[in-house]
Amino acid sequence: MKLRLSPQTLLVLDAFLEQAEEWKYGYDLSRVTGLKSGTLYPILMRLAERQLLETQWEAGEPGRPPRHMYRFTPDGLRFARANAAGSADTGLGEVALSLLPQGLAEA
Amino acid sequence: MGAPRTLAAKLLRAVVRLAPAESRDWAAAMLRELDFIEGDWAALFWALGSAAAILRHTASVWRAWLKRKSEKETGMNNTGKRVLGVGLGMLSALALVGCALATLRILGIMFPGLEHSSWAYWLAVMAIPEAIFVAATVMLWRKKGPIAAGILAMGLVMALHVAVHFTLHW
Repeated sequence: MKLRLSPQTLLVLDAFLEQAEEWKYGYDLSRVTGLKSGTLYPILMRLAERQLLETQWEAGEPGRPPRHMYRFTPDGLRFARANAAGSADTGLGEVALSLLPQGLAEA
Repeated sequence: MGAPRTLAAKLLRAVVRLAPAESRDWAAAMLRELDFIEGDWAALFWALGSAAAILRHTASVWRAWLKRKSEKETGMNNTGKRVLGVGLGMLSALALVGCALATLRILGIMFPGLEHSSWAYWLAVMAIPEAIFVAATVMLWRKKGPIAAGILAMGLVMALHVAVHFTLHW
């Protein structure tokens, strides 16, 4: 199945490539990429449907509902790395970087 | 908890309840993130975006289901397809009216008093949806006739409802 690589999708892939092995939360991804929930979640859903992203419910503290987390599958990581060059060419990597909080962007 | 955050939580809980099984996990995930959003208005906008995302996902699930079903049932007669189209058109029109009512409710919270204004009510629930129904009917008539007929039928029902209302109250 073909995945449409819109600028927003590339932003999400870039955000996942930062510490790719770590699980990420929806709201954190929204803050890092600057995407609203109405744009971000359809992208996450498409990536998950294509087995590029794995999802998991975080076993949180007792009494608190679990939180949904996302990270690349091995296929997803390969796909993102293969497309990261295209993202860098269009300057989207820099856009994503500029959207990071000041401390993180400098790091 | 402010009114916008309360509304956001209510909206997302309703979405979780109403979402089909394929979308429910995602809706629950969006609801859970609400606790981590700073600012009541940001929470409301998060919920609105999330509800739209779930609506689109649900629509794509239904489209895929309908496509699979129509591929399986190639023998389905034309009458069945037409009835399905008309039903789909009516459902779409009803969903639009529902969205109009929800928008009016949200605007009522943002601008108190607006919800009780009769012109705002008629504009949001009648004039704009009716204009959209007419435009959609004209656009879809040739290619998707049954759906257009369903939308038109719902528009006529609403217009009839208004006519009856004015006849009884004026």
